[in-house]
Amino acid sequence: MLPFSFFGLLGLLALSLPVGIVLFLLAFGIDSFFSPFPLMRGLGQVLWSSSNHSTLIAIPLFVLIGEILLRSGVAQKTYRALNAWVSWLPGGLIHANIATATMFSATSGSSVATAATVATVATPQAEKLGYDQRLFTGSIAAGGTLGILIPPSINLIVYGFLTESSIPKLFLAGIIPGISMALMFMIITVIICSLYPRLGGPKQHSSWKEKLFALQSLLPVLCLLFGIVGSIYLGWATPTEAAAIGVFISFLLAIIYKACSVQMLLDSLSGTIRITAMIMLVVLGAYVLNFALTAAGVGRTLQDLLESLGLSAIATLLIIIAMYIVLGFFIETLSLMVATIPIVVPIIVQLGYDKIWFGILMIILVEMALITPPVGLNLYVVNSARKNGKISDVVVGSLPYVGVMILMIILLIAYPSISLYLPTNF
Amino acid sequence: MIRLIDYLKCINNGVAIIAGLVLLACVILILIDILLRELHISFGGSEEISGYVMAAISSWGISYALTTKAHVRIDIIRNKRQPLGRAVFDLTALCATSYVAVYAAYYVIPVFEKSFKRNSLANTSLETPLIIPQSIWMAGWLWFAVSSCLLLICALWLMYKKSYQPLNDMIGTETE
Repeated sequence: MLPFSFFGLLGLLALSLPVGIVLFLLAFGIDSFFSPFPLMRGLGQVLWSSSNHSTLIAIPLFVLIGEILLRSGVAQKTYRALNAWVSWLPGGLIHANIATATMFSATSGSSVATAATVATVATPQAEKLGYDQRLFTGSIAAGGTLGILIPPSINLIVYGFLTESSIPKLFLAGIIPGISMALMFMIITVIICSLYPRLGGPKQHSSWKEKLFALQSLLPVLCLLFGIVGSIYLGWATPTEAAAIGVFISFLLAIIYKACSVQMLLDSLSGTIRITAMIMLVVLGAYVLNFALTAAGVGRTLQDLLESLGLSAIATLLIIIAMYIVLGFFIETLSLMVATIPIVVPIIVQLGYDKIWFGILMIILVEMALITPPVGLNLYVVNSARKNGKISDVVVGSLPYVGVMILMIILLIAYPSISLYLPTNF
Repeated sequence: MIRLIDYLKCINNGVAIIAGLVLLACVILILIDILLRELHISFGGSEEISGYVMAAISSWGISYALTTKAHVRIDIIRNKRQPLGRAVFDLTALCATSYVAVYAAYYVIPVFEKSFKRNSLANTSLETPLIIPQSIWMAGWLWFAVSSCLLLICALWLMYKKSYQPLNDMIGTETE
C-alpha cells in the first residue's frame, strides 16, 4: 500500500491534476484496493466535520488582510521605508526585500501571500536599477517563506489544530527562529554580494533625516502587528479572533490611505474566496486521504517499520527530516503538513521530543519545500510577478537561502531552546 | 457553448462576492463578540457561526476557484507539450475534477438527509438546526459538481472543434 500511495501521488501530480483532487483520488484508490470495508460512505461526514471548524476561519481572514494591504498601498510605503534603512548594505535592495518580507510575515499568515506582496512591490525596482535577477527574486521567494514561521501563521494554526497543542505557544516559539533566520538571510546576502559585487545592485545611502521620516511609513504595519499579536498575548482574543481584529485594522488603514472603494472591497473579497477555496480543497483532500490512511492502518505500519529498525532517537529524527526534504521537492506545503502530521508527530512525541519544538522544525522544513523545485509555490509566485524570465533564475537565486534553512534546522536540533525559550518562560 | 461558459463564470463571480460578504459579516460578528466579552456580556455564538461560514465559503468557493483556474496544478510536464498535448493534459485534469466533484456531491447528500430526518440540533448553546448550515454547504458541493460537468462538456466540444486556444483560456494553467 505504501508504494501505491507514493507512486500514485507522484504519477497523478505529474499528469497535472489539481493537487487537492489527487489527494481525493488516492483516498478513493486506497478505499477500493486496500480497505476491507467501504470507507468512502463516510466521505460526506468527513467533509462536513473538517470544514465546519471555527479555527479554520483564520485562513480566509489572514488572506483578506493581505489582499487589503496589497490594494491599499501599505506594501509600497513599507518597502520604501525599509529601503531607506537597510539598502546601504552590500546587496542594496535585496535587504529591503528580506526586511519587508519579515515585516509582512508578522501581519500575514501565509508565505505565498507574503511572497506575492513583496514581489509585486519589489520586482519593478530590480529591472530599473539593473540587479541580477537571480539573487533578487530568490531573496523574495525565500524571505516570503518567513510568513508561516513568524506569527501569525496559518500553517502553525493547522499544526496546533491537528496535534492539539497550544496555538499561542506555537506562535511564541516561532518568533526567535523567524527573526534569526531573517538576519541570517541578510548576512548571507552581505557575504555573497561582497564576494561577487555584480550580483547585487547599487548601494543606496539615505540621510538620517530621510531615515527618520521613513519611520512614519512603518507605523501602519506596526499598528497591525500590535493589533494582531498584541490582542492574542494580552488575552483579549484567540488567534482566530485576532485575525478578525487584523481585518478591521487593515480596513481602517485602507480608509486612512484613501484606497477604500466598493470595487477594491469586492476585489479583495473575491480574491480571498479564490485563495481560500484553493487552500481548502487541498486541506479537505488531505483530510480525506488521512481518514483513508488511518482506517487502512498506514500509521501503524510505518511506526512498526521504524521501531523494527531499532534506531536511536536522533537517527529516527534525521530520517524523518530527510523524508520531509525529499517529499518537499514534490508536494505542496500545506498538503505535506496535513498528510504527515498524524503519522509523524506521535512517533516524535514517543521519542521524547517536544511537540511545540517539532512544530517549528516542521515549519522550517515546509518553508524549504516552498522554494525547492519542481514544486515550490513561492518560486512560481515570484516568477509570475515579474511577467518575464525563466523560473530557473528564481530557483538558483533561492539556493543560498535553502542553505541557511538547513543551518537553522541543525541549530534547532542542537539548541532546542532557540524555539522553546519564549514559550516556556512567558 | 462559449456563452454557456460566460454565464457560468458570471454566476461564480457572483457566488464569490456573496461568499466574501458573508465572510465580512462573520468578521463583524466576531468583533462584536470580542467587545461584548470585554464588557462581560456573554454571547459566544460567533465561534459556532464562523465554523458554518467556513464550511459554506469553502464548498461554494471551490467552483469559483475552478472557473478562475486557481486550483494548484503541477504543470512542468504539461508545459513542455504542444497545444494539442496541453489540451489533453487539461482535459484529463478536468475529467478527474468532475469525477471527484460528482462523487463528493453524491456522498454529501446523505449527511444532510440524516440531519433532516432526525431533526438534528447542534450540540451548542445556540442549538442551531443543522439542516440550515448543512443545506447551504451541500448546495455548494452540488454546484461544484454541476459547474465542473458543464465545464467538461464545453471543453470536450472545444476539443472536438480543435479550438485549443479558447480551451487553454478556459481550463489551462496560469503559470506559463
